Amino acid sequence: MKITEAFERGEFVVTAEVGPPKGFHIEHMLEEAKTYLSGITAVNVTDNQSSVMRLGSLATCKALKDEGLTPIFQITCRDRNRIALQSDLLSAAMFGIENLLLLTGDHTKLGDHPQAKPVFDLDSVSLIHTVKQLESGVDLGGNELVGEPPKFAKGAVVSPCSDSVDAQLAKMERKVAAGCDYFQTQAVYEPEKFIQFMEKAKQFGKPVQLGIVIPKSVGMCRYMNANVAGIHIPEEMINELKADKEKTKAGITGVEIAARIIRECKPYCQGVHIMAMGWESKVPSLLEQAGL
Amino acid sequence: MENYTKYKLKSTEELVSLLADKDNLFVVACNKCFKEFKLVDEPDCDEFQKIAAENGKTITGSARIDFLCNKTQTEKKLQDLIPEGTENVIVISCGLGIQTMADLAGKPVYAASNSLNYRGHHGMALTRKSCDACAQCYLNITGGICPIVDCSKSLVNGQCGGAKNGKCEVDGNKDCAWEKIYRRLEKQGRLEEFLNQPVQIRDYSKVNFKVVNDYVKAIREERFAGYYGGVHPSERKEFSEHIALERFPEPQTVVIPVSQHVGAPANPVVQVGDTVKVGQKIAESAGFISSNIHSSVSGTVIAVEPRLHPTRGGDCLSIVIQSDGKNTLHESVQPHKDLDSLTPDEIIEIVREAGIVGMGGAGFPTSVKLKPNKPIDAILLNGCECEPLLTADHRVLLEFADDIIFGLKAMLKTVGAEKGIIVIEDNKPDAIELMKAKTADCDNIEVVTAKTKYPQGAEKMLIKRVMGRQVPRGGLPADVGAVVSNISTVKAISDAIRKGMPLIERVVTVTGERMKKPGNYIVKIGTNVKDLIDYCGGVTGDDVTIKMGGPMMGFALSDVNVPILKGSNGIIAIDTDHTEPVACIKCGRCVDVCPMELSPLYFAKYADEENWQGMKDRNVMDCVECRSCEYICSSKIPLVAKIKAGKNAVRGMK
Amino acid sequence: MLITQLKSKETIASLVNGKVFIINCQGCKEVSFPEKEAAEFQKKLSAEGKVTGIITTDYICNPENMKLRLSYHQAEIDAADMILVFSCGVGVQTIAEYFEDKKVCAACDTYPLPGFQGVTPLEYKCDQCGECYLNLTGGICPITACSKSLVNGQCGGSKNGKCEVDSEMECGWERIYRRLAQLGRLDLIKCPTQIRNYATDAEVSETK
Repeated sequence: MKITEAFERGEFVVTAEVGPPKGFHIEHMLEEAKTYLSGITAVNVTDNQSSVMRLGSLATCKALKDEGLTPIFQITCRDRNRIALQSDLLSAAMFGIENLLLLTGDHTKLGDHPQAKPVFDLDSVSLIHTVKQLESGVDLGGNELVGEPPKFAKGAVVSPCSDSVDAQLAKMERKVAAGCDYFQTQAVYEPEKFIQFMEKAKQFGKPVQLGIVIPKSVGMCRYMNANVAGIHIPEEMINELKADKEKTKAGITGVEIAARIIRECKPYCQGVHIMAMGWESKVPSLLEQAGL
Repeated sequence: MENYTKYKLKSTEELVSLLADKDNLFVVACNKCFKEFKLVDEPDCDEFQKIAAENGKTITGSARIDFLCNKTQTEKKLQDLIPEGTENVIVISCGLGIQTMADLAGKPVYAASNSLNYRGHHGMALTRKSCDACAQCYLNITGGICPIVDCSKSLVNGQCGGAKNGKCEVDGNKDCAWEKIYRRLEKQGRLEEFLNQPVQIRDYSKVNFKVVNDYVKAIREERFAGYYGGVHPSERKEFSEHIALERFPEPQTVVIPVSQHVGAPANPVVQVGDTVKVGQKIAESAGFISSNIHSSVSGTVIAVEPRLHPTRGGDCLSIVIQSDGKNTLHESVQPHKDLDSLTPDEIIEIVREAGIVGMGGAGFPTSVKLKPNKPIDAILLNGCECEPLLTADHRVLLEFADDIIFGLKAMLKTVGAEKGIIVIEDNKPDAIELMKAKTADCDNIEVVTAKTKYPQGAEKMLIKRVMGRQVPRGGLPADVGAVVSNISTVKAISDAIRKGMPLIERVVTVTGERMKKPGNYIVKIGTNVKDLIDYCGGVTGDDVTIKMGGPMMGFALSDVNVPILKGSNGIIAIDTDHTEPVACIKCGRCVDVCPMELSPLYFAKYADEENWQGMKDRNVMDCVECRSCEYICSSKIPLVAKIKAGKNAVRGMK
Repeated sequence: MLITQLKSKETIASLVNGKVFIINCQGCKEVSFPEKEAAEFQKKLSAEGKVTGIITTDYICNPENMKLRLSYHQAEIDAADMILVFSCGVGVQTIAEYFEDKKVCAACDTYPLPGFQGVTPLEYKCDQCGECYLNLTGGICPITACSKSLVNGQCGGSKNGKCEVDSEMECGWERIYRRLAQLGRLDLIKCPTQIRNYATDAEVSETK
């Protein structure tokens, strides 16, 4: 199923992401996904997230699909040139994977193979353009595809709380122009900023899913504030986590905070995307508390 | 014409579409880039204007600017250049020039040209693609053939399967690089070595742009440190900088030219057969800009005749004296009153009488400098000794510190300057430390450390560096309230006042990689250079170049049977460099290093065309002949000789 | 015009086999040459009696002059088993071409120097991509100002306006955005999707 169909039906679309392991034994990952994520619309599979080498996104998507889940194939421009990217898109189509999240990707220097050649032959915008072109039955080189062209739900990301939100909106506009169908956002901790952003993003008429990362600990918050682009966790929120250490450790505080953000932002967006980062087990209670 | 220019005008269609929504254009074209220097003005600017006019566009003006990427010079040239009413600035240049303009113009800037993809074309003239700067040179395992550039796939572990008939699968005209590598290694018997190489995996993180950018920033800063331009030739001062001064043995004969200074030659006042003593005047100053000459030995005048002059390229009237070896002082050599009792005019007279001239090489009469017609704020003592190899001033600083301070005080008193500044380059920390200690209790004397850069010792550069003042074109240091003097000159002033001794000897560095026993010597004026070299053990090998002075501004001596002069700070023996000038390719290096901010490449072109007016218009007379341009010239054009010819011609035009 | 850095002492030592003739190129010294380190290494090698001759010259890449200069050292070169060149990759290859029968080794690694066009390197950068984007970006080059050389706008990696790869580097696309805003040209953001052409080097070959 295409995620866009859910948006069209007016559903508040819930997705979550899983990260493939460094290795090919995915039984545990599949088990967790089946247990905690089977109730949601679709599951994103990250593509060598943070430039750390892992099991492939495409193969993991196929495994999830075989288990009855709806995967979203995340695909970055860091590791493949336009030939490999298009080839993998066709492979996805063959497996019946219909949802894409098209990203530029972190730089190779940030990962565990800093010596690797960063490719960036295409970027997120030109990748969306490329998918659109494939959908019209022609590849980027202008050559016709054999048979029925593939059809995808083409997603992209945007960072609403970025300190350069104008540049982000400009990029978002270009993504829309290139053919993007829906957006998932970077993790949001400042609902008012998100709401302001959505006021401006409304004009593009594309569904936007609020990005959520459950705050696990004070340390994690401090780390993200210092190092992760587009994320700023307010001090009051960190204090909330500090207040009751046991409660925080159990994940209760983090889920409370995340649920509150979802509730505040829900009227302004079309869905939520949860990046659980190992806390997949908390997703059901989060959704429940958020009233979803 | 070989064309290496890194950009080309966009196609007419592209330009038409670019201009569609733009009007009131100001056009800036970069006028110099890698290309043989045949045309003074490149054609692109006119071509563009024609296209713009055909499309009914209004051009508010245009400018051709040499080396648009040279921000310092471009910024100066741009002042008030773009007229009112200009809406868009159109730039014809490579990406650098366009970005320079985009930063400076304050108006929308558009490129009318595309930079060409010259990746891998480096070196002097961009003539072939050969190095991609991968930061992990593979040439050692490939017999000196680059697999990154020559192999279409940049393979580093051997040939792919795509070569057919020895040609690349990508380009049938291109030899397979790995076949070439294989054959080269086979020929050199190095196949085993290649086969035993570990698997090569490229490390793309090695090209760290942060490091490169920081580096570029640092060298840019260095380039502009104190003053625009300049160069950093190998210093090689270690040969002699720690060798203490030694008195050169008494010469048997001295040959003393009557012209060792700027201005009129002195008139001999002795005749053959006369007996002379040390310090006796033997030739009399012949005008305001001239200088007395004294005997450096006691003995008999054996000839007054033209002899080969070391720096004038011909003979010059000289007084030849045979020494009696006794060094009898002339009765005129008497200490003067103490400094407090001397009036400025008396000091000037002592200096004039003692025949003191600038001992850094120029030989301008010092007494004239001491009578500036403008108020002077500071006297700069030039202890930079920026010429490579030379260490004479360095040793004088270390061994005659008190004399230097005395001489400086005398100068301060004479010109009524408030401050004396001793400027020493940072490659002489011992001299800096000593002078700082010695001047600690002098309120009006300061020691300034200058970061080493040639030609820091040129007076205009020194003033800019230390006082931040710019001597106007054709002006003198006094115009900006400064007097500049050399270290040895000041020591000579001290000797003249305290001992009554005229300028009859000086410190000479005898050095160079081909000099057997380098050293620093106190040498009498008129001493034979060959004797000096022989005393230092002679030179090693043949094919040696001997110069009087330093490697940058020194004079090559084809005959070493010439005398030491008042301005001879060094005798050097260095490797001969064999070069043939080739065509100027407008690499722009000379413009980048010229401390006077001139464009030396024009001088080469105009001298060949005997376009002396062109040279004059390009301010050839401002050239200080520091030779930085010739040193950096990638085509090895003898620029200074051409500039000198131009200067002579321009002088003749008046 | 490139930056050269000495290979590690161990690496160079492992290259040296028998007698060595050494060539230093200081043509680009105003930009970069590891003068001290090279001299130190060569002094040591000379002391071990392994050196038949050393020449320090400039612009090895100027072929006519280099041939002339080398001709005065033929005996020293003949006496050597190999030639060790302290220069950028262009210089090493020029020498390797002269002496096809002799082992010619590079003692330096060569780093790219962005922005060298007419005069010694500038703060500005141009990667000579062959398809200038400056008209779309307010005159700030996205190929060099962005670590990923993105041509369609900002990625999500910038934090506090700084690049994800280098926290001291300003995000190129934020600079571009500001410049366009300043120039009143934010409409350029609406240009068609840009896709790079990596085959522009052919143009240079054709014009040769």
